[in-house]
Amino acid sequence: MTITPTQWAAILPLLFPALGACLIPLMSLDRDQATAKWIRGAMYLTALLAVAAGFWYLTDLWKTGAQPSFHQLHMDRLAQFSGIFILVAAAMTILQGWDHFHQEGWVKGETLSLLLFSVTGMMLFTATSNFVTLFLGLELFSLPLYALVATVRPRPETAEGGMKYFLTGAVASSCFLMGGVLLYGFSGTFDLKAAATVLQAQGLGADPLVLAGAALLLFGFLFKVSAAPFHQWTPDAYEASPHPVAGFMSVATKGVAFIALLRIFPGSLSGVRGLEAHVQSALAILAVLTLVVGNLTALVQTNVKRMLAYSSISHAGYLLLAFVAGTPAAFSGLLFYLVIYLAMNMGAFGLLTAFGLQGSHTTFEDLRGLGWKRPAMGFCAAVFMLSLAGIPPLGGFYGKYMIFKELVGTGHVGLAILGVLASLVSVYYYLHVLVALFLQAPSAEAERLASDRPAVHAPLAGATVLVAAAIVLAGGFTQAFLVQGFAQRALQEGLGLFR
Amino acid sequence: MTWLNSHPLTFLVFAPTLLGLLLLALPQALGKLTRLLGFLGALAIFVLSLAWLLGRAPGAPLAEHAPWFTLVGLPVDYSLAVDGLNFWLVILTTFLVPLTMLGTWNSLKDRMGTFAAMFLLLETGMLGALVAQDLFLFYLFWEGMLIPMYFMIGVWGGDERRYAANKFFLYTLSGSLLWLVALLFLAGKAGSFAPAIMAQAASGLPFGVQCWLFVAFAVAFAIKVPLFPLHTWLPDAHVQAPTAGSVILAGVLLKLGGYGFIRFAIPMFPQAAMHFAKPLALLSVIAIIYGALVAMVQRDMKKLVAYSSVSHMGFVMLGLASFTVIGTQGAMLQMLNHGISTGALFLLVGMIYDRAHTRMIADFGGVATKMPIFTTFFIIVTLSSIGLPLTNGFVGEFQILNGTFLSGFAWGRAYAVIATLGVVLGAVYMLWMVKRVFWGPVNPDEDSGTQHLHSDLNAREIAVMLPLVVLILWMGIHPGTFQAISEAPVATLLKDANAPAIRPLVLPSAPLLGPVEAAAAGHAPASAEVHP
Repeated sequence: MTITPTQWAAILPLLFPALGACLIPLMSLDRDQATAKWIRGAMYLTALLAVAAGFWYLTDLWKTGAQPSFHQLHMDRLAQFSGIFILVAAAMTILQGWDHFHQEGWVKGETLSLLLFSVTGMMLFTATSNFVTLFLGLELFSLPLYALVATVRPRPETAEGGMKYFLTGAVASSCFLMGGVLLYGFSGTFDLKAAATVLQAQGLGADPLVLAGAALLLFGFLFKVSAAPFHQWTPDAYEASPHPVAGFMSVATKGVAFIALLRIFPGSLSGVRGLEAHVQSALAILAVLTLVVGNLTALVQTNVKRMLAYSSISHAGYLLLAFVAGTPAAFSGLLFYLVIYLAMNMGAFGLLTAFGLQGSHTTFEDLRGLGWKRPAMGFCAAVFMLSLAGIPPLGGFYGKYMIFKELVGTGHVGLAILGVLASLVSVYYYLHVLVALFLQAPSAEAERLASDRPAVHAPLAGATVLVAAAIVLAGGFTQAFLVQGFAQRALQEGLGLFR
Repeated sequence: MTWLNSHPLTFLVFAPTLLGLLLLALPQALGKLTRLLGFLGALAIFVLSLAWLLGRAPGAPLAEHAPWFTLVGLPVDYSLAVDGLNFWLVILTTFLVPLTMLGTWNSLKDRMGTFAAMFLLLETGMLGALVAQDLFLFYLFWEGMLIPMYFMIGVWGGDERRYAANKFFLYTLSGSLLWLVALLFLAGKAGSFAPAIMAQAASGLPFGVQCWLFVAFAVAFAIKVPLFPLHTWLPDAHVQAPTAGSVILAGVLLKLGGYGFIRFAIPMFPQAAMHFAKPLALLSVIAIIYGALVAMVQRDMKKLVAYSSVSHMGFVMLGLASFTVIGTQGAMLQMLNHGISTGALFLLVGMIYDRAHTRMIADFGGVATKMPIFTTFFIIVTLSSIGLPLTNGFVGEFQILNGTFLSGFAWGRAYAVIATLGVVLGAVYMLWMVKRVFWGPVNPDEDSGTQHLHSDLNAREIAVMLPLVVLILWMGIHPGTFQAISEAPVATLLKDANAPAIRPLVLPSAPLLGPVEAAAAGHAPASAEVHP
């Protein structure tokens, strides 16, 4: 079988990280201490190069405007958008990982390899509307993540978190599979777009089994975006993971799941009478539930990582509201929100590394007074938290603004009011971080302990935090450029919206 | 320079931010230098604002307009303007910022550079909100303002500062988030954030919807004012905030609530505003009386001044609810008055607190003998706060009460009479406080505040108070300076509201009864007979 150049163009972006993932384990052979240092450097460099090559290739593809495909893999604008999104998150994770794993004393090659495999899977997941390929992507990105959560083996609680994540994730995957099988059974095709045509033609949109299939499929997605009531794994998994991996999971997993959801439900399965309305009302109910559960539970957390986990749950709620509105403008708001969310959350988790908080020492108590000790990081923390809370003029505000505007415009005023009330509640727990950083002095005990410890040295994590803060700030002033230049084009040329 | 000539407002609004960011970047060790830089910058901005605003030909518009961006089909304009409604409020803001910085020069011991930076960021928020002519832009500044104020209260405040800062932030945000939904709803109907276009769209909506929208606007602004019963954040914020924060909170932030009514809520929904005139007036009257009564029983001077703010801002809202030109004009003036008098009171309380480290009234007594200059200033400001004729407080309150009394509403006279009681109560709580703090024998207790007052005001503090006193008298003797410019816009504003005609004359109705009877019956029954 020969592969044409356009087909190469479609798979190359996936091949770069996959190649990196294969190369790295070859390097992580045990050596003496002196060479091990160099090998670690080489592994991180390889990982960065693999990500950079994919990034470079995709941006080039984006500029040319080509949308190549390789059988069921369609590297269209939306897939390119999500590919760039994933690779940026991965690059930040790798950089933060260098500092974090050194702090933890657990620098291993397999971590990078797993991360890159996960990246490959995510890119596959968002680049197809064929169910089998979709499932392949889902598993390819999920399995490495289960292992990544438990990667720092000296910490006992990581095994617990990893196990929880794996078991619940396995259930979600099997439900996803079952859903796909049901749809296949009725339509006779794995291609979801073709399946939609068949279902519509036969008037099976409201058939209970078709609905059950769609519901199971939806469950798979909602588990990955950690929407309530499928969110239980999130805080435990985040708490167990290394900080950069938690950041990566919160951003990339949620991001690709939303983009794939966008491709499947409003994209491929749109226009099936009966099904569409049911999906929309189910999403509305779950969005409300997610907002309420996520925000209220976040209020009482004492651990910053658990708080950020519940915050990420509540953000899934806002993003689901975009599906309830269901207009192209709301979806471009969703993509814009995801970009800002990438910066905010990678930044917030990067801060934990930059502040030198190790292992489970990530409570609000551990943050006290750090904002004044590290003013630049403190400033960035304020930017992230206020942006997560949706305070203008930061980037996070515009994401919510666009989604709420479309909600109000499509007559869902009640949901919009609930949404703003939820973000009012969220302000309280985001301010809690700022209270700890700036408004509270460190306890005498902490001061004494801090003087014994060596000074925190995390230049790479610090750099990613600064970059992320710059993106969040810039997002507040270049919103129209970002939305029109990227989000709308991705939707327009990738999904055929805005026509 | 050509850029400056065509964009004076942009410069005024954003120069403080640029300076503030620069100050933030300076190291902590240079705190004193940073503070000085901040003060000089704020002073320069004040001088420039005076030169540009007062120096231009009268009536010449000062506005900037450019499209900014279009999102979700809604264009947002970068639109700034200074006109009769915000002219003096802008100057009040640029005036109070350097003055407050100077007045609280030594109040803070640490991180003074960062404080100056926060102050300047806050100035951008306030000026931006005052001059913004696009509702989206206004919203950005309105919300953005909360961030520096949050840190000012939370970092440099009193013992309960974290609670107060959170309460301030969440309370204010709750109103404005619901307002945002109303804003999005209306902007979606109008396809624009320009107030004029939105007003037009609003007038086409069913009256019930208009009322809901007005309520959303009004609640957001009323929280800021703060109008009873939405005032509960104010005492906490004021008491816990550092002196400079209290001054600017009372001086400018509260004004933005009243300004929001005049600029947006009333002109955009004139019919709905008329519909809600009575509840607004009723709440204002309650605020006037309630604020005064609560102020009377306070033991902390700062808290007393904070509650007096509730009472005074009640007058502002009453003036607005009267829907008469004179009442609204009085409300505008009262906003300036309150900014100056209450700002001055907070500064004075701060000055005595810096010396005695207590603000409890019971800790003082006989301060007059220890600090004669301070006492003089305090008495002048107190009298202005009470509303003594020839001071600014009198003019504002008189016009408001006059407007309420004359307004065509059935409740006008009754409410005016009750509100007048608030003026009397104001005299009671202020003078009673003065009596306990300043007069009488020196507090004999060795640990009392009075014993710690070793120095009277120094030259810096006198230099801060003098301009305030001059303004108090100027506004009392010649209020026309400050009211001429807003007369025309206020008249236009009220034309749309279609308010019931003024019931102008009480006295000419007397001859109908005959002079003797009128004198015997008094005004109120006479008017009741003539205007059933």
